[in-house]
Amino acid sequence: MLEYQNIFTRVQVRTQPEAGLPIPDSLMGPGRLGKGMFGPLAYWAGKFGDAQIGPIYLGTTGLLSLMFGFLAFEIVGLNMWASVGWDPVEFVRRLPWLSLEPPPPQYGLKIPPLNQGGWYLLAGACLSLSIVLWWIRTYRRARALGMGTHLPWAFASAIFLFSAFYFQPLLVGSWSEMVPFGIFPHLDWTSAFSIRYGNLYYNPFHALSIVFLYGSAVLFAMHGATILAVSRLGGEREIEQITDRGTASERAALFWRWVMGFNATMESIHRWAWWFAVLTTFTGGIGIILTGTVVDNWYLWGVKHGLVAPYPAQNVLTEEQKLELRGRYQGTSPDSFPMYNVPVTPAAPAMPDSMLPGMTPAPGAAPSATPSATPSATPPAATTPPGGTK
Amino acid sequence: MRAFPFARVALLGFAATSLAGCKYWKSEERVTVQTGYRGTAMEHTVKKSDVMAQFAATSVPEPVPAAGPSPPGPLPWKNVQVLNDISVAEFNRTMVAMSTWVAGTGNCAYCHNVVNFASDTANDGKPLYTKLTARRMLQMTRHINGQYGQHVANTGVTCYTCHRGKPVPQGMWTFGDGNQYQRHYLDRDGARVISHEMAPSNANRSSVKQTEWTYALMISMSNSLGVNCTYCHNTRQFASWQEAPPARVKALHGINMVRDVNTNFVAPLVSILPQVRLGEMGDAPKVQCQTCHQGVYKPLYGAKMAKDYPAIWGRPDWAGTPFPGLYQTAADSTQKVADAAATAPVGGR
Repeated sequence: MLEYQNIFTRVQVRTQPEAGLPIPDSLMGPGRLGKGMFGPLAYWAGKFGDAQIGPIYLGTTGLLSLMFGFLAFEIVGLNMWASVGWDPVEFVRRLPWLSLEPPPPQYGLKIPPLNQGGWYLLAGACLSLSIVLWWIRTYRRARALGMGTHLPWAFASAIFLFSAFYFQPLLVGSWSEMVPFGIFPHLDWTSAFSIRYGNLYYNPFHALSIVFLYGSAVLFAMHGATILAVSRLGGEREIEQITDRGTASERAALFWRWVMGFNATMESIHRWAWWFAVLTTFTGGIGIILTGTVVDNWYLWGVKHGLVAPYPAQNVLTEEQKLELRGRYQGTSPDSFPMYNVPVTPAAPAMPDSMLPGMTPAPGAAPSATPSATPSATPPAATTPPGGTK
Repeated sequence: MRAFPFARVALLGFAATSLAGCKYWKSEERVTVQTGYRGTAMEHTVKKSDVMAQFAATSVPEPVPAAGPSPPGPLPWKNVQVLNDISVAEFNRTMVAMSTWVAGTGNCAYCHNVVNFASDTANDGKPLYTKLTARRMLQMTRHINGQYGQHVANTGVTCYTCHRGKPVPQGMWTFGDGNQYQRHYLDRDGARVISHEMAPSNANRSSVKQTEWTYALMISMSNSLGVNCTYCHNTRQFASWQEAPPARVKALHGINMVRDVNTNFVAPLVSILPQVRLGEMGDAPKVQCQTCHQGVYKPLYGAKMAKDYPAIWGRPDWAGTPFPGLYQTAADSTQKVADAAATAPVGGR
């Protein structure tokens, strides 16, 4: 039993591979691939889990899921490769920055051409289908083994967050809200999403999601450490200890009562873990769906509900100046999204004799002295903060 | 059970990281400047050696010796369209300075037809685009120094602020697919994306993608000035002017200035620049923050060069009478600067 006192598993079993319960073949061929083995990878598999590898059950939904997943992967990858002119070296070098982008804002919820986000929607549809099929697979496998369906429902919570990134753009009315496929681009998106909606940190569901996420980590550490610590007393046999509480369970429970006056049980700790994990993505999804649909600026929501700490103003502005400094929004109505197309400048006209006094602006430039670019009234002069910066 | 020297390894690891940490955080290598209310992480952190290296690499030319007395009588020039309001000596001095600032060679022939300095064309009758451009740029420089005091203050700009001894300054941009956000430096209006109201409405339909365009624009400014977001914004609410550091107001004037300059001075040069100087869409190169700032929050670390050259100062309160010479401009504010500079060593960083 002392063998369990280690951060790596030190007990490895080598025996006849366990084939599992008999199952009927699926429509698309034999249901179970292989008979299970302790192959060349068994040693490393045994370091982290069970040394036996296989058999694997793919089934109809599993096969379809992999196919659609592969399709999505290919669409994303080939589009990225095309974006660097099919140069393999550039593809590898710039991979972290390459992206398959959702349609630009002017398309709203219309179907765009393939190279204007059409591929993106196709890839997204394939990926979603793949994920849903994989969910069905987990549900059916759980049922086939006579298990509860806790696992599929926990997975469903994650899928809910994933699909919130569809629901929110549908509710807001623009595909351009969606998350780009790409390593850094999707991180840039999170940043831009938060900025656009006035700082997501003031979104209470975002906060809840973080609570459950960090809470999950703490619970995982507490539970894992507790069980490892009592494994020399048989504590790793958690299921037996639920109904037949032994000294491992007693000591673990007593430890936590000493430390914090309360303990979970061998069974309830797993409910804690399950709920924390499920609520992480569930509350996160709610937060996303409320953003841009119910609340457009979470910071102002926070101000209204006393969430925002008041700091001294660094610039003292009149109402008039505030109004003036507002500027214009990028998209002021659904039809007025700027077309980010390069203007076609006609060939340079003949050289004027002199540059003075009436030099004509170039055809590509803005028509006049940009009334919008240069606000007529002068913005307020900067003022230093009133004393409070030390 | 084998004894594993966990304790020793852990101790060593802790010692190593804490030593490295001390070196990184406690040394004078890191300099942090507070830019907002305490405890809000409104600060600007720089690595001292980086700044020192950049500072050392920034050279400011010595001012050309002050102009002596000019001959009396009307100005003798022909075809002088911009600098026709200064003394002869000051004019010559300015020309000498410009030849180093821009051409980088001290060579009059970069702009002028040396047979006939007044001519706008070469001997073969072809237009001297360099001279025509320089004339327009002189107007621009006077316009900036005269109209954009809220951005350039008493420091002002000279040709050297952008050119740094090269005919084409750093950071010029032309139309392309990858830099659409830079259209905001010319004619694209409305970079705001954050709503001023809590509830959604049709007033602001900006999408996340448009936010990324604004983001790209902001990062180009950040890179141009070598500063982070909190230099101009309180990042808990980017849209708020009340909570923003005063530098943001200065930057707004700068954006207006860049758009004005691009629209009225730089982009129209498309009609005289040769093909080789144009972008792939056939447009003239345009300026952005980088063109002057070149990675520094104040161009040339705030070196006051313009004060030495009344010809390009062009203050609005200047009546157009010829400048008598160095350090004696009409503007009060300039006078103060000049006084300070007269006692300080040359260069005035």
